[in-house]
Amino acid sequence: MKTLLLFVTLLPLLAQQPPAAAPAAEPKQEAKPDAKPEAKTEAKADAKDAQASPVPTAESWLTGSIDFGYRWRTDVAGSVPTYRSIVNLGSGPKIFGADFTLIDPKHRAFDRLDVRAYSLGDDPYSSFYLSAKKARTYDLRADYRNIAYYNAVPSYADPLLARGVMLSEQSYDTHRRFSSFSLDILPGNWFVPFFAYDHNSGYGTGVTAFVTDGNEYPVPNRMNDLTNLFRGGVRFELRRFHATLEGGGTTYNDDQNLYQNGGTNLGNVNTRVFGQQLSLTNLAASYGIHGTSNFSKGLFTANATSWLDVYGQFLFSQPDSDVRYQQLASGNLFLQSQILFYTSQQYLLSSVAKLPHTTANLGFELRPLRRIRILESWLTDRLHGTGSANSALTLNATSGAQQISSLLASSIATNYSQQQVDVIFDVNPKLTIRGGHRYVWGDANYAVLPVAGLNSADQGTLRRHVGIGAITYRPFHKLSLTGEVEGASSGGAYFRTSLYDYQKVRGQARFNATNTLTLAADFTVLRNDNPNAGVKYNYAANQASLSLFWSPLSGKFGDLQGSYTRTQMKSDIGFLAPQDLSQQISSYRDNGHTATALLNIKVPAHGVFAPKITAGGSFYISSGSRPTSYFQPIATMRIPLCKNVAWFSEWRYYGYGESFYLYEGFRTHLVSTGLRLTR
Amino acid sequence: MPSIDLSKRLRRLLVAVASLTLLAATGAAQDKPAAAPADKPAAAAPEKPGYAGSEACATCHEDISKAFDKSPHHQVDVNKKKGWEGRACESCHGPAQKHSETTSVDDIRNPAKMTAAAADKTCLTCHLNQPTHAGRLQSSHAKDQVSCTGCHKVHADGGTKLVARKNAAINAQCSGCHITAMAQFQKPMHHRVPEGAMSCVDCHNPHGSVRPAMAKSFASNEPGCFKCHGDKRGPFPFEHAPMRFEGCAACHESHGSANPRMLTRQEVRLVCLECHANLPVSKAPVAGVVPPAFHDLRSPRYQNCTVCHQKIHGSHVDRNLLR
Repeated sequence: MKTLLLFVTLLPLLAQQPPAAAPAAEPKQEAKPDAKPEAKTEAKADAKDAQASPVPTAESWLTGSIDFGYRWRTDVAGSVPTYRSIVNLGSGPKIFGADFTLIDPKHRAFDRLDVRAYSLGDDPYSSFYLSAKKARTYDLRADYRNIAYYNAVPSYADPLLARGVMLSEQSYDTHRRFSSFSLDILPGNWFVPFFAYDHNSGYGTGVTAFVTDGNEYPVPNRMNDLTNLFRGGVRFELRRFHATLEGGGTTYNDDQNLYQNGGTNLGNVNTRVFGQQLSLTNLAASYGIHGTSNFSKGLFTANATSWLDVYGQFLFSQPDSDVRYQQLASGNLFLQSQILFYTSQQYLLSSVAKLPHTTANLGFELRPLRRIRILESWLTDRLHGTGSANSALTLNATSGAQQISSLLASSIATNYSQQQVDVIFDVNPKLTIRGGHRYVWGDANYAVLPVAGLNSADQGTLRRHVGIGAITYRPFHKLSLTGEVEGASSGGAYFRTSLYDYQKVRGQARFNATNTLTLAADFTVLRNDNPNAGVKYNYAANQASLSLFWSPLSGKFGDLQGSYTRTQMKSDIGFLAPQDLSQQISSYRDNGHTATALLNIKVPAHGVFAPKITAGGSFYISSGSRPTSYFQPIATMRIPLCKNVAWFSEWRYYGYGESFYLYEGFRTHLVSTGLRLTR
Repeated sequence: MPSIDLSKRLRRLLVAVASLTLLAATGAAQDKPAAAPADKPAAAAPEKPGYAGSEACATCHEDISKAFDKSPHHQVDVNKKKGWEGRACESCHGPAQKHSETTSVDDIRNPAKMTAAAADKTCLTCHLNQPTHAGRLQSSHAKDQVSCTGCHKVHADGGTKLVARKNAAINAQCSGCHITAMAQFQKPMHHRVPEGAMSCVDCHNPHGSVRPAMAKSFASNEPGCFKCHGDKRGPFPFEHAPMRFEGCAACHESHGSANPRMLTRQEVRLVCLECHANLPVSKAPVAGVVPPAFHDLRSPRYQNCTVCHQKIHGSHVDRNLLR
């Protein structure tokens, strides 16, 4: 990160250097008969610009900007853990953003180099992007992100809340780092080899529960996982045919550790069990998880004839995992099945799992007549996994040691298939209609043997017919209307809350009312019912949005953009309460209002003094099962100080509240100020 | 020996790839001198009847021409192999000689005003046979008549890119149509899209995908969510079936939610109990109806199932997903 900061900070210094002899070199280049055509065109364009513009250096080889400054955050009023879980912005010096493009007029190592970096300086989401290209030689892209994942919402997973203890027993404070590199060689050619590497790691700490019979103990948790992905392949891009062949693999490690060093942890249960207080005094548990995967991929597209395009994909992956779990725990522990109190336990487990996964897809677009297109596609997705675990639990009680061994085997299989046909008819240049049918079928089963506990054997089948109708209407160039309807009838679904007999309607409209005003609307309705005895699931959700963009006088004095969205959701499904098997209904309601708006005002310029003011923000207010309000107003001002320097200042406010969980609300102000250097 | 076979095969594969790369590179190198003088094609353009040539277009459409010269599409104008040398404008807009004489909009083809299918046909003449289009038939964009030019600026006006590349710009572009989806990100628990840390195309492939909702894949055909959430990927000896049968959206609102962990319900136990309901379904059996063992949900201890069943995405260690 420091290197990144240094790099991004130094870039503007580079930008201060004069562009050497570039303008002088360009005309010379034009004279060269064997100069690259791109270079010639570039040079020609630059020469034209030079004639037209009074500025002697027609076009800079380096352009871009950097925003840096300082952010202050007021004390967070209310719940700091919730603030950090949702916003997590802090005080300090920051590079808010940097964006540079280098264009080499001589096309030496690259034609163009783009560098972008955002939110550097201990912000919760920092990113860095680099792209370098040389026409028909290479295309290199690198992407780096460092995202803080803090999640400690007090109302979530807190069995001790009734005792006044606010501790989410499923909380974490981690960072995830992603690096992604890809290189295409000879892009634009008929044969393009490519290579890529992705790195994804997570590290940090948290709280989790160590679960034993009769009690569970919140303990610290150290997390550290890493995934590497390597892939490479070739693309054949011919005039009538394309094929991509790709192979690769992943490696994965997860070294999660739970620990407690001394002390007495009474856990979540403070009532005595058979007269004894259960407790945990020491714990060391480590998950030694290692995984690998190899995968292959084949894609093709073909323009077989002028009236037929064919597409296909074959995808295969086979991840596997290998685990060595070790656990040592001591305290006053309890084994419910034998009503045995014991002082320590050692648990050793080794497990393996494999999950071969095959996906294939084939389809074509047939154009029998000028106005008719028939799209046919078929998809199958098959995932067949197996696993086994071998464990030994040694209990040390005052009466002596006892060992319990077990060997478990598991399997999971799901076969999903889908066939869809769509017929698209261009009624006239303004109206297109589409009708189609999708048939979805599959089966799934899961088993752990020997049968015991809650996770034993299960299966489900999937059968669904879906009718599809859609219309696209553009009565005139400035208005576009799209609507789609789906109606489905099922003969089987995997879960009680799965889509069953459903109707879905989607609509979108876009209207350029004037050259300066654009309106757009979007709505979705989904109704899903499963009337089967034992399910009786009713679900309905509506979302409707309207947005506008208004830039009077071509944005000379500013513009206004805004949107408003209304959401309603209603879900009812029955269940039997485990404690007494009484019939209960799980009802979920959500009535939400979301609005965003941004008003940009350009104050009339006096020389370089041309301030720009932006005000707006967003809010979300909902009632229902979890009434929530979340406000994020924002105001910014940017004042150019000279040609390449501007001063900016920003104010933000975050206000969050929940009616049922008042202790989770927070409010805070953030003020940032800094400079923008441009070139 | 299989290992020897493998190394031989690998060697052969490497030799084949290297030879093809060399062959292609040679071809690429041979192309360059042919396209050398930038102004030559324009001079050659009128040889084709009805065509005016790019330079003639630039006379009136100077701004577009300047922007176009910096865009990747400029290759069409200078690369002999593409077959439109010096006539790149007319490769999409059709023969322009008449238009150049009359300056009437009726005498020129404008893909922006054509039906989506017709506009796409123009683009796909060159771009169909590329990997991005392998999932095109699954794409709701293609089916809903969202043409290529709906997202791609063919002339790259105002820049040198044909499509938005910065996260904020990508998100702004998608939100032009998907307003409701963007509104979901304004809910308190959300993926970091409004903050610009992520973009829509981190998770969705706008050209189409074999996965529902045009979702991207990770490592060939695994759900794209695992690219970031690698610790949920498994495979687990003890799987939680919905993860594999219906994916993350079985329990999570993938854009945003008012509920912690972007869950579909306000409390974890309700997410669980809606499936683990202990209500047998006779007509069309569904999975997961069996409830957990006796748990008194009136006790706060049992109100959040994941306190104990913490490896809810699947466990390497415990069949009941307790560790």
